[in-house]
Amino acid sequence: MKTKNSRRLENLFALRSKVSASIVGKLYHSIPISGQIISLGIVALIFSVGTNGQFLHISNIMTVLGLSAIPMILCLAVHQVIILGAMDLSLEGIVAITAVSAGLLLKNSVTANDVGLWIIPIVMLIGGLAGLVNGLLNTKLRMPSFISTLGMSWTLFGVAIMISKGSSIPLRDLRFQKVIISEFLGIPTVFILAILLGLVLYIMQNKTKLGKHMYAIGGNEILAKQAGVKVDRIKISIFGLTGMIYGLAGLLLVARLNSSAARYGNNLLFPAMTAVAVGGVSLSGGVGGALNAVIGTIIVVALNNGLVLMQINPYMQSAVNGIVLISAVALTIDRNKIGIIK
Amino acid sequence: MKKRGLLIIALAMLVLVTPLFAQGGKEAAASPTTLSIAIRTLTNPYQANYKVGADMLGKLEGLPVVTLTCEGSSEKQLNDVRALVAKTNGNVVFMIDPNESPNVIPLARELDAAGVYWVSWWNKPEDVKVWNYKNWVSHISFDGISAGEFTAETLFKSFGYEGKIIALQGLLSNSIAQDRFVGLQNILKKHPKVQMVAFEAADWDRTIAYEKTRNMLVAHPDIKGIWAANDNMALGALEALRAVGRAGQVLVTGVDGTTEIYEAIKKGEAAATVYNDSTYQAGIGLAIALAAKNGELDVAKMPKEQRQFFAEATNVDINNVDEIMKGASSYDFENLFASFSRPMN
Repeated sequence: MKTKNSRRLENLFALRSKVSASIVGKLYHSIPISGQIISLGIVALIFSVGTNGQFLHISNIMTVLGLSAIPMILCLAVHQVIILGAMDLSLEGIVAITAVSAGLLLKNSVTANDVGLWIIPIVMLIGGLAGLVNGLLNTKLRMPSFISTLGMSWTLFGVAIMISKGSSIPLRDLRFQKVIISEFLGIPTVFILAILLGLVLYIMQNKTKLGKHMYAIGGNEILAKQAGVKVDRIKISIFGLTGMIYGLAGLLLVARLNSSAARYGNNLLFPAMTAVAVGGVSLSGGVGGALNAVIGTIIVVALNNGLVLMQINPYMQSAVNGIVLISAVALTIDRNKIGIIK
Repeated sequence: MKKRGLLIIALAMLVLVTPLFAQGGKEAAASPTTLSIAIRTLTNPYQANYKVGADMLGKLEGLPVVTLTCEGSSEKQLNDVRALVAKTNGNVVFMIDPNESPNVIPLARELDAAGVYWVSWWNKPEDVKVWNYKNWVSHISFDGISAGEFTAETLFKSFGYEGKIIALQGLLSNSIAQDRFVGLQNILKKHPKVQMVAFEAADWDRTIAYEKTRNMLVAHPDIKGIWAANDNMALGALEALRAVGRAGQVLVTGVDGTTEIYEAIKKGEAAATVYNDSTYQAGIGLAIALAAKNGELDVAKMPKEQRQFFAEATNVDINNVDEIMKGASSYDFENLFASFSRPMN
């Protein structure tokens, strides 16, 4: 028994799909990140003109891709939580604790440890445990994730400072750095790693039941619960997975600098969040995915690269950055998909 | 019930009265002057070396040393200082690294009222003048300009004073960052064949320095050196050079004097740094305050340039890096103003 209202609603939807069915519109809407690709194109165009083509030189493109790897991995991590409609600000704390752990457990000049390749599962375990705590605080203690993860970030950063005694730990194991700075077919290995991670998450989001449930929770948590989605379990596992990925990024960061300290992760939250927003992942949840995170990060990193290449005065860069970011988001967010602007 | 109440009151009185006896007992013997340092923490190596310097002077003079750490709280710093002044009955001198610059004002008032001599390092609002207080002997800071000059000069020398360089600044709003950059620009003026083709702000941060350097290297692959305003950024730049296979060919310089940069200097990947020796800072600060207390320095008659001044830090390059890494075995705490570099207005 359909009510008058619901029939009216159906008609409305039919009308809207007719409107957007023009050819350009069809193409535009068939690619989920077309808006972002256009804005990357605009950024590239402006910088190519500004740098006499240097911006699009292959060596610069590879530099941008190489530099985007670690922020991309972080963005891929944090956007998963944001799809759920939650927030994760524990990024810097988890990166700090895993970076310091990696510094102290790999061959270094402070302790006698040398765990070698075991460090990979170790940092993922530490990050994963921290993520699990985030998830438990959010679901079982029913704390807003915005504040509980902020608290976690401070706590873990403090612990990282304590165990590293506030100083940096130079590494003595050069193997990890060699991998980080190596190239495969001219492409930075670390970028390939980030893309592979993006691919895995893309498949998870689009082809598995877990992915469907994630979007259901992000769209409307109460409805999802009524439809039988195990909300708590999914939230906790996504927070855990996000923590594991942070751990991996912490290790990569340490490997790249060949040294470890709690503060090395201190400026990573902002770029990751900007990449999430620029990439078109809705901060209100349920919209966007791995593709958005990947393209969002590339836009943000390309932007910083272009500002340096064009020799924009450092005193002005921060302002330029802000203006361009606002314009990029204004251009790219799909206002039809985001119901409420918060 | 009544008995128990009385017992509790008696115990409480005992607890309250005991410290009074303890204090009185100590005062009976003419106690030596206490040397005290009020610093931030003992958990980072730079701050921890303040204690080493204070202990060194204490041993030399045969005086007790008390270390007060505020762990980032200006309130605690002030209260701890106040408590120690009361405990020693004013028979104490201080070397203070103020937690935040506005904190010097209550400290100066408090110590003036108690007649306790003290010396401060690093933090002071510019418009607060030491000579307006009778017991605040001196305020000292290391000279950012001369540090920037030394590292620039050494860097330019490494490539024969001809070629391009890039530079990494600290936080742009930070006065020490600006001073060091002024030092670099002074030396650039001296050598017209050296050209600074780009500079970026990397906020003292190693990760940002790495990224900015990678980007600048794309635009300027032919540079001969990288000047950085601190060691942390210099080390980030060094790893960026390593990523493009040019570590050791292009040298970096920093300021601070960290073990990591010393090792890079030894390996021939960094040219220079400037070591801010906190062991010396604590020792000389206490020595100046002690001289005022013992009447060897007449604070009212001291010239203004000894009351507020910039001190020269220890320049480090390949010639003395081994010696610096071993650590100085003794310091000259007799010559109170030996490190004077320029007056602070």
